[in-house]
Amino acid sequence: MKLFFAACVIGLGLLSAALFLTQSDREGDVPVITWITQNDENKRAIVDTFHQWIKDQKLPPVELRIDNTNQDPTKKLVQGVSGVGADLLDLYLYETDLFPATGMIADLTEDAKRMGFGPEATYPALYDDVITLGRQYTFPRNTGVTLFWVNRGTFAKYNVPTPPWRWNSDEFEALGRRFVAAANPPGTRQRVYFANGVSRDVLRRGLGLTTFNETGTFCTLDDPRNVTVLTRVRKWVVEDRLFPTKEEDAAMAADITGYGSMFSHFTSGRFAMIYTGHWAFIMIRPRGVFQLAAVEPPQDDFPNTEMGAGGVGVYEGTKHREHALRFMQFLASEPFNRLIVRQADSLPPVPKYAETEEFLHPQGRENEWGVHGAFAQSGRETGILYSRSPFVLFSQTFRIEMETYEAMIAGRLTPAEAAKQMADRINTEIRLTVARNDRLRALYEERLELQRQIDARRAAGRPVPAAWVTDSFHRAYYQKHGWLEEEAKP
Amino acid sequence: MTDLPSPAKPVPSLAARLRAAAGGLGLHGLMAVLSLAMVGPFVWMLLTSFKSYAEAADPAWMPETFLWGNYPEVLRVIPFARFTLNSLMIAGWVTLLQVFTSALAAFSFARLEWPGRDRVFFLYLGTMMLPGLVMLIPTFQIMVRFGLVDTYLGLILPAAFSAFGTFLLRQFMLGIPKALDEAAEIDGASKWRIFWDVVLPLCRPGLVTLAIFTFMGNYHSFFWPLVMMKTVDKFPLPVGLMFFDSERGQATHLLMAGVTMSVVPLIVLFVFMQRQLIRGIQIGAVKG
Amino acid sequence: MRSSRSQTRRVLTGLGFLLPNILGFLAFTLVPLVLSFGMAFTDMDFFRHNPFRDEPIRFVGLENFAWLFGHPEFWHYLRNTFFLMLGLPFAIAGSLGAALLLTRVGKRPGLIPGALVLATLILTGSLLALRAAGMSEAGVWFIFGLTAATALVAGVFTGGTIYRTLFYLPHFTSGVATFVLWKKLYNPQTGPINFALAPVLDGFGGLIRAAPGWFSVGVPVLAGLVGTLLAGWQLRRLRQHWDDATAGQVAVGFGVTMVILPAGFLLHWLGVPLGLAAGFVVGAVVLLTALIVRRPRRWGPVCSLDTGLSAEIALALGLVPLLILSAAGVIFGPTLPAAAAAGIEPPNWLGDYDWAKPAIMVMALWAAIGSNNMILYLAGLSNIPPELYEAADMDGASPTQRFWHVTWPQLAPVTFFIFVMGIIHGLQGGFEMARVMTLGGPAGSTTTLAYFIYIEGFETGRLGYASAAAWVLFLLVFILSLLNFRFGNRGTND
Repeated sequence: MKLFFAACVIGLGLLSAALFLTQSDREGDVPVITWITQNDENKRAIVDTFHQWIKDQKLPPVELRIDNTNQDPTKKLVQGVSGVGADLLDLYLYETDLFPATGMIADLTEDAKRMGFGPEATYPALYDDVITLGRQYTFPRNTGVTLFWVNRGTFAKYNVPTPPWRWNSDEFEALGRRFVAAANPPGTRQRVYFANGVSRDVLRRGLGLTTFNETGTFCTLDDPRNVTVLTRVRKWVVEDRLFPTKEEDAAMAADITGYGSMFSHFTSGRFAMIYTGHWAFIMIRPRGVFQLAAVEPPQDDFPNTEMGAGGVGVYEGTKHREHALRFMQFLASEPFNRLIVRQADSLPPVPKYAETEEFLHPQGRENEWGVHGAFAQSGRETGILYSRSPFVLFSQTFRIEMETYEAMIAGRLTPAEAAKQMADRINTEIRLTVARNDRLRALYEERLELQRQIDARRAAGRPVPAAWVTDSFHRAYYQKHGWLEEEAKP
Repeated sequence: MTDLPSPAKPVPSLAARLRAAAGGLGLHGLMAVLSLAMVGPFVWMLLTSFKSYAEAADPAWMPETFLWGNYPEVLRVIPFARFTLNSLMIAGWVTLLQVFTSALAAFSFARLEWPGRDRVFFLYLGTMMLPGLVMLIPTFQIMVRFGLVDTYLGLILPAAFSAFGTFLLRQFMLGIPKALDEAAEIDGASKWRIFWDVVLPLCRPGLVTLAIFTFMGNYHSFFWPLVMMKTVDKFPLPVGLMFFDSERGQATHLLMAGVTMSVVPLIVLFVFMQRQLIRGIQIGAVKG
Repeated sequence: MRSSRSQTRRVLTGLGFLLPNILGFLAFTLVPLVLSFGMAFTDMDFFRHNPFRDEPIRFVGLENFAWLFGHPEFWHYLRNTFFLMLGLPFAIAGSLGAALLLTRVGKRPGLIPGALVLATLILTGSLLALRAAGMSEAGVWFIFGLTAATALVAGVFTGGTIYRTLFYLPHFTSGVATFVLWKKLYNPQTGPINFALAPVLDGFGGLIRAAPGWFSVGVPVLAGLVGTLLAGWQLRRLRQHWDDATAGQVAVGFGVTMVILPAGFLLHWLGVPLGLAAGFVVGAVVLLTALIVRRPRRWGPVCSLDTGLSAEIALALGLVPLLILSAAGVIFGPTLPAAAAAGIEPPNWLGDYDWAKPAIMVMALWAAIGSNNMILYLAGLSNIPPELYEAADMDGASPTQRFWHVTWPQLAPVTFFIFVMGIIHGLQGGFEMARVMTLGGPAGSTTTLAYFIYIEGFETGRLGYASAAAWVLFLLVFILSLLNFRFGNRGTND
């Protein structure tokens, strides 16, 4: 046994030594910057284009490496705040406000001005994704707009007309019921659905309501308009069966196993429409040629679509800040934007490239021609970011809204109770944050005061300075209704 | 080396063996069906590992065509062999250290008389009741302070000391007759010699049991390595397997192929160790 | 003088052997422990206390705990944690059952590697043949049949050893891989479970539609019959144990309560007011317990009040769900025809508020039956002296009596150990599962305390708050373990 023991120690020792000595990540002469993102063909093409761009610009050489192994959000956060993050980090959805809040993302405001990747270089609607509390932390490497994709073949199969570009929720409901009735013979289990789901945010915004008030100091979801939206969505799910019970893609967004079966259902005709971004081309193209269209989500009063930036930020603890900044500059450059246009991954970050013939009417893909323009138009005209507040993390808002909504679908809460619970829980989180964070408390007091002034002016029917309204939705809504003062900045 | 006395069993002839087996055929049928329930999900996993990316999301069990190329693909996309070796190395060290330190501590608790012994032992037991999550954050901060983040040591050290192992081996050692060490003591052996030459060989089955439990557990550990490790070269298998990217989301078919391959070393290990394992527990037996 | 010197020596020797373990214990258990305890009383937060933003950490007293108990969903998450632990007795029973079967089937190791090679060859060969013959979906059934047949052949040749390996199989995949696998299995649209279930349910629905009367009457009658039989069996068993002095008054009372309680629920569901139903439960329990306890004992009163309580608790945790299930059958049976008219839908497992928890419990059961617990039981079974069984046989004991009078009491120490470890792990569990499978949803129905701690600690960054929650969890584990040691251990040392 002692022999066995000794053999184990020696064997393990040798193994460890071998593994330790064969680690490959030694830096060479060229500095290496690491970018935490997916390791797929598109990203590898970006890396190649970046290296070429560096050469063409006669900049000092640098090697960009993809690190796809540290993408887990928890991991990025824990390692980041412990001082061991990568040079470039993807910032998606709730990471956009979470990571800068920790101080681990470098403030790029001055550099962006100098190198030309400030907020004016991209879509105005993305302003609040790029700028957090007046400072710039990211620049988008893609721009996502979410619309309903329509499989025209499915509608034709059941002799139901395809949806119009813009429609209200009554039209949506009528067509949906008609489609579901036509596609599912009576007396059988339902197999075909109208869509995979619908965005409650868009419906609320269509009625002039969003998660927070103008200054992000209070959650406004305890509102009759929210009750209307929740009641309607519940009817669509539970009674009309327009969608499957669970909104799959919402849960999939953070799912380790990735986007599930949505696309196979879409192309096989089980979902007539899916609600997703422009990147869906990557999933749909390999499955065959389909007659496609894209339409806006249903909305009643104020046309809007969901928009968001897939941003990249620079790690505060990076050793290669200048090189990392070059990459940010590259994101606003022509070669990068042309590449994104070719890849069809999303709208390019710089709007003018979405107006090119190459983007709108790609050669040999006539079946897609209606779609590209639709996304470009929405990005230009109706796209609005998620509402968020500096006083509560977006991940929490998202979780609370989702949990409460699901409780309503499960029949445990009425729509009115759900609306009240959403607001109460989100407002509690705001209180908890403000109670402890001195810096945010000062900002909160300031914003509360602004909110009082906004309310007073609105009550008196007077216009409000644009700078007071910090919420992207409210700014757009005020603009449309002419409630902003004239010399308004964006 | 002292082996445990085992009663000699008569070896039955092949005919007798077949007869006995035929008698229990009904029971065997039941066992086969039950085994199927345990194996079912693995059949699905195996079949999925031969599918294409698009097919992996389909409800059908059968792949359209068997893509044997998925397996070489796994080896191409990730350094599978390296991940496996990392896992084996880390789990190996943890097992070795844990068995050794636990045996030492168990010897102290079971075979030595010293005041305060039982109180210290119960303190040990109490630590098993602490949720690992309570200590995750502080442990991570200790790792940062010691510069152990993203090192092999950072994975090995915290797992190398275990109250569970101490508890298990103590139970084993209590079952060994005291007369043996007393005899050795009269011969003038030191405590260390008694531990090393008398007690340790006698509780070999216990050591094997603990070794297998520990090895299995650490071969699979996921969250701690996920948070701790940064360099691909140092990833253990469960963490390394999570990175089959496609354009969007994860490539299930490759994941399943990887998981299938990762199970193989464990099955081999278990099949060859299980006789030791079962015998080990029989003799030690767990007494509350 | 001399004795004190030798005593010091003894302590030093003892601690010397302990030293390596103690050092690790201090560095990786005690220090983090103390730190986390301290953190629970501060406002520590990722967002304000990190290398980039070094604000002072403040002491906030019990505020974190006040927040926690004021959290509207805290009690919900606590209930979830306990609910998911209800699977534990089933898992233990499953492990025990598996171990019993494995022991019955024989234990003659030998030929193992050979048989495995043979089985692999047969399987691979047949699969290749199948592939050559052209694959179709029906091939799956062929594969299943083949697997079962291979297992059977290998089982006969290895004297059952192969089953042990197959039963232990779930333990070979890592937790995360298991979760991903089951998530795919449970997918309501594309998962194989619903894929297999849909034709069955369609057929069942057709059957109900064909003969609605049979089902609307038959199901409740059958469920009622099963429930009554089960209740009768348990009452008879209790009487028997009382007579044999293997169950004390407390155990009998507990056992009776667990039988009557589902009947109370049934009454309430049928429309009897809550107060009346509760009154019925209390009355029936008192009456039945009194009837049993009055009986003179065969061998005189030799057992204490709570003898056999742990066995009753273990049994009741298995029995009560069955009784509740039959009560549900009585209630929902008559509504079946109406449900079948629209076609019976297979459940949306992880996406449905009411199904998510059972779905997770089934998965946990699958993983737990063939785990280390089964191995410990196997060892325990082989440690029971054969003389005990011989003696029982001489008394003419039936197999059931043999189990309850010999096997079960002899296994008590193992059961106790497994139960304690199960509670410790169960209360701390559920966070990797939630992270991979459900994100704690739908509607928070699979958010356990551990996952809540994870969210607050790693997503929201409130380390102090998360530590406070973790210490509440520790307190729970501690109290439950203490109760377990106090009551569960009593029957095990005799």
